[in-house]
Amino acid sequence: MNIYKNGEYSFSNNDIRQDFELLIRAMDASISGIIITNNLEPDNPIIYCNLAFEKISGYTRAEIIGHNCRFLQREDRSQQERALIREAVSKGKSCTVEIRNYRKNGDLFWNELFISPVVDHDGNVTHYIGVQNDVSLRKKAEQDLRQQQESMEKQIAERTRSLRESELFLSSIIQTVRESLLVLDPEFNVVSANDYFIKTFKVTKEETVGTNLYKLGNHQWDIPKLKELLIDILPTNNPVEDFEVEHDFPHIGRKLMLLNAYRIELEGQFKDQILLAIEDITEKREIERRKDDFLSIASHELKTPLTTIKGYVQAMERLMPEGAGERFRNMLAKTSQYLDRLNNLIAELLDVSRIQTGNIELHKQPFQFDKMVKEAVEAIQSASSNHEIQITGTSGITVSADESHIVQVLNNLLSNAIKYAPDAEKVHVHISKVSEFVKVSVTDKGMGISPEDQKRIFERFFRAGDIQQRFPGMGIGLYICEQIIKNHNGTLWVESEKGKGSTFSFTLPINTTNEHGNE
Amino acid sequence: MSENKTILICDDDEGILDMLEMVFEDSPYTIIAEQNSLNIKGIIEKQSPDLVVLDLWMPVLSGDQVLKMLRKNPKTEEIPVIIISASREGKQIAANAGATGYISKPFDFEELMTMVNRLIN
Repeated sequence: MNIYKNGEYSFSNNDIRQDFELLIRAMDASISGIIITNNLEPDNPIIYCNLAFEKISGYTRAEIIGHNCRFLQREDRSQQERALIREAVSKGKSCTVEIRNYRKNGDLFWNELFISPVVDHDGNVTHYIGVQNDVSLRKKAEQDLRQQQESMEKQIAERTRSLRESELFLSSIIQTVRESLLVLDPEFNVVSANDYFIKTFKVTKEETVGTNLYKLGNHQWDIPKLKELLIDILPTNNPVEDFEVEHDFPHIGRKLMLLNAYRIELEGQFKDQILLAIEDITEKREIERRKDDFLSIASHELKTPLTTIKGYVQAMERLMPEGAGERFRNMLAKTSQYLDRLNNLIAELLDVSRIQTGNIELHKQPFQFDKMVKEAVEAIQSASSNHEIQITGTSGITVSADESHIVQVLNNLLSNAIKYAPDAEKVHVHISKVSEFVKVSVTDKGMGISPEDQKRIFERFFRAGDIQQRFPGMGIGLYICEQIIKNHNGTLWVESEKGKGSTFSFTLPINTTNEHGNE
Repeated sequence: MSENKTILICDDDEGILDMLEMVFEDSPYTIIAEQNSLNIKGIIEKQSPDLVVLDLWMPVLSGDQVLKMLRKNPKTEEIPVIIISASREGKQIAANAGATGYISKPFDFEELMTMVNRLIN
């Protein structure tokens, strides 16, 4: 029961002593350190401290009483907070500071210090009460947080800078490529267009970005086939790959374009946008066509005088006088042989050009495979008396293929077998039916091919290391053979051992319903 | 049998024409060599050859055009025609136009002769 009397109050039975003891207990129960200094004495000595203060500071009461508070700061005297305290004390005011203090064992602790003056009836400051809280943990948390924030801000700045750099880098690539690129939203409005598009189609960025693709440049992109493809892309997610579109543009004329389009599947702001890459292949196609035409004409023109020469040489052979010398006969025979080689070279050059531009036309027709092989072998046999070509096996199959191409492959393999095995007498040809394929193998007992060369002999213009001097050639025969067999969905391969001979084999599918001739 | 058989050969290349004329000299056939394909129709009408040998690539009127023309005319539709060409597609073009035989340039004279003998008799 608290009774208030003449400015005094008692919370016990009006027993000052009991009140005093309770207050001391209360002070000692506080978790805040509490001290009282006597400011009437010089250097304001501490005259009271509670238990918490002993605990916070690590000093015992005996070590505390009589000292000025500054002993807690030890040598750390340059803190600004000290000036604040001094000022407050000199003016008789209260203040709150956070100041670095040190425990008896030397450990730093952050002291949240509140000092408030005790003033007597005459207005003189007689004492100061200091309340202290150890806020080291809070301080540390604050510091950590600040550090974290700083480092995060730094990281964000770094990331932003690097992102911006990447973006600039990517955009500079996009702007530099010589291919038109458009980004469309799912409704086919242009989100962005690169410089090459702007340049190629002679439009401005302003009229392009934000406009529906089909309305661009007076509906010049309103191409039914393109529409169909793009409409397919979103729901089915089938990319458009290398789709050729020919279109007559009002200002720039007829263009042959190669279109590639993909839907962006990345979750987020770009989802379902469409990337449309437009390659203008008008010129490229035209150059290819001209090259083909040129080679066609060139080979035709070269073959025409060759025909005449061959006719005369054959007539000379026929009309050869009985008594003509061996040397003369030989020379004529060589002339004829080299004419054939010249003819083959011309044909091969044309073939290579066509293979490269993918313009090989296959005229597939059914023919008896075994008969074709037999006839090809007979033709080569009649021209090479030094070798005996032996055929074994049969397939009994009628295949559908371009016979002239397959004969060309066989001729090439047979000629090689003879050419690269000048001292061997036998060449062995074996025909077989393996599963759904027919197979031919041509085996010679010639010089063989090293494993390293085996990997490369089907490459264009490849000549095995030491061969060029003894056996000149362009290195395109096997390349053409492989391409022809590939075009027929078959395979051509070699097995060989250096010094022991080689076997070249190829297979052709018997059922060639899934043909893709123009590869 | 074949003494009086006549072969019309048309090629725009003079070298080939000369050569064929020369190599056919010791054959039993009479050769009419013509460089201009536009004249073929007239020659056939006047001299009715027993066989025609046509080059494929000729200016103005190509071999396959001549051949198609001959095949449309009832008077000439039966005449055997051999196409000779240095073009890779020649065989296909010749077959489509209705050629009786095809030989690619440069050809073996024996091969040509065998085909001529077979078709003319």
